Amino acid sequence: MMRYHVLHTVKLCPSFLEVDGRRVAEAGGETSFLTDLYRRLGLDYPKFFKMDILSKVGFLASEFLLEQEGSERFVPRDDRAVLLYNRYSSMHADQVFQETIAHPEDFFPKPSVFVYTLPNIVTGEIAIRNKYHGESNFILLPEYSEQAINQAIECAFLALGTTSLLTGWLEALSENDYNASLSLLNTNQ
Amino acid sequence: MRPRVVITGMGVVSALGVGQAAQVKSLMQGASGIGEVRYLPTQHREFPVGEVSLSHDEMLEMLQIHDDQRYSRTSLLGMIALREALAQARLLDREDLAFISGTTVGGMDVTEQHFPEPLPSGMRDVHDCGANTNGIADYFGCFDYTSTVSTACSSAMNALITAKWLIESGERDIVVAGGSEALSLFHLNGFKSLMILDQERCRPFDKMRAGLNLGEGAAYLVLEREETALARQADILGVLSGVGNACDAYHQTASSENGEGGYRAMMKALEDAGIDRSRIDYVNAHGTATPNNDMTESAALRRVFGEKLPSVSSTKSYTGHTTSASGSIEAVFCLLALQNGFLPFQWEFQNPDASCIIPVSGFQCPRAELHHVMCNSFGFGGNDSSIILSRYE
Amino acid sequence: MELTEELKTKMIEVLNLEEMTPADIDDNAPLFGDEGLGLDSIDVLELIVLLERNYGIKITDPKAGKEIFASVRTMADYVAANRTK
Repeated sequence: MMRYHVLHTVKLCPSFLEVDGRRVAEAGGETSFLTDLYRRLGLDYPKFFKMDILSKVGFLASEFLLEQEGSERFVPRDDRAVLLYNRYSSMHADQVFQETIAHPEDFFPKPSVFVYTLPNIVTGEIAIRNKYHGESNFILLPEYSEQAINQAIECAFLALGTTSLLTGWLEALSENDYNASLSLLNTNQ
Repeated sequence: MRPRVVITGMGVVSALGVGQAAQVKSLMQGASGIGEVRYLPTQHREFPVGEVSLSHDEMLEMLQIHDDQRYSRTSLLGMIALREALAQARLLDREDLAFISGTTVGGMDVTEQHFPEPLPSGMRDVHDCGANTNGIADYFGCFDYTSTVSTACSSAMNALITAKWLIESGERDIVVAGGSEALSLFHLNGFKSLMILDQERCRPFDKMRAGLNLGEGAAYLVLEREETALARQADILGVLSGVGNACDAYHQTASSENGEGGYRAMMKALEDAGIDRSRIDYVNAHGTATPNNDMTESAALRRVFGEKLPSVSSTKSYTGHTTSASGSIEAVFCLLALQNGFLPFQWEFQNPDASCIIPVSGFQCPRAELHHVMCNSFGFGGNDSSIILSRYE
Repeated sequence: MELTEELKTKMIEVLNLEEMTPADIDDNAPLFGDEGLGLDSIDVLELIVLLERNYGIKITDPKAGKEIFASVRTMADYVAANRTK
């Protein structure tokens, strides 16, 4: 028997955004789709522009997901875990950072890029934004696997005090190649 | 009732040497493994590191690897540690074990040798974090399930936590978990850019501390459902009695001033273990020796333990910060302390800092009968974990 | 261009202050803390790199940055007095 149910889902890729299966935005503007979506949310969160692509995609997808929930935001809680997966980790930020140390004559490692060269920074960004103090974990899988993800979800719900999960697949290889499929899950009471 | 998760094998390699005996010897003598760079091809020789004193070829020789596949240093270190763990648990002939490994650097050292040229074909798929885990697992052929945890410096500890949950959920009877991480130019330069590397040997909790030293190594623990271990008459080395993971939810790299994430992780571990905080005999702190970590971890420790602080020390003054492997390397140190009845001490500690706890110090390694020890491991992103290891009684 | 304006333009670029223009940054407003720009510890490190890269100024102790980076004005004064390029 399933011990949890799905509250909401979000899919975000370079061409569209879907919330609970409904198409709510499509790319096509002059500016970047991610920036468009940020503006559409009407947020005042300038940190967004400092994020790497993985964090931007994860942040936006989580914002649209949590907006659907409709409950009061930003109340500190530790019963909601953030659990994400992908195949290529923080590859894009890794490449950008490596560029900053590739040329001996122009060698300036960029601290603000280095801090994003880890996949779990995006789980942290989501937790920071929402004051989630529960479990946060980023799991790398050799490829997308329903079975592995379900196992991780089952595991996460075994933890003491975890009643809700913000979870899903989050891959971002460049500004034009990303894919977020996040869900909000609650345990059955 | 939840099954007890016991430890039936462990293996370790660090700047202190290869194997459990080498670690015990150095920890009891107070002999740090941190020194000048020998193998990492960096121009930043001003930073001391906790390197494993083995070259690539020496490791291939130890492991009797003769094919020309390019293994990363992370994989080779992992294999050396895992071999000891599987041998001690007498599991080398199995084919149905689960393996969970933490790493963040993965095969970065090999990638760096080629950069900026693309990796030759066939090599691209063997240098990410997951491929390193599989490379280690394939060497032994003992595993039918592998997984990689990559949560920066708390990776190995989160691998242990995941393993405990897999066993408690009934999914698995035996899970081998830990982490492996080699030094790379990538993260040495990255940590340098964050200005948190000390040019002297690191001084955890010392008023004069000026940052961390990077280290490398690997360690794995064989975790097993108690009944399974008893049924196959395995030697039980200890119990993984409690685990906790929490998010600091504060900043990508800095910890919150009151150590919220660390505090919550420790409280969860105590709750999971079902023991009172007064029963913790020793805490192996994350204690990186950065001004920020040691101050905020001290704040968290004081919140958890109040006036009655147990003995605390950071073994990063011996190994450097072994980043993604630190959680399991230090868990092994805790088990060795439990087994051998001693407290890892920081003999070089000199200057107490009012905003920090005072670590176990002195000229001689204190002997102590330990029953429950806590081990902390905090990662970038505010991903903080804590576990409790107990004597098997 | 005046040094303060030049610094503001460069800061907007390296700190990804996407929605700001130089005119939005007051010369004397604090750069850190809740008032002003609300920059953090990583931003300090970026500013240290900015000074090294553009003006040949090396700062090795991030704590020394606090006074230098109090405002655009203090930063410009420091650059004017210490620049090597």
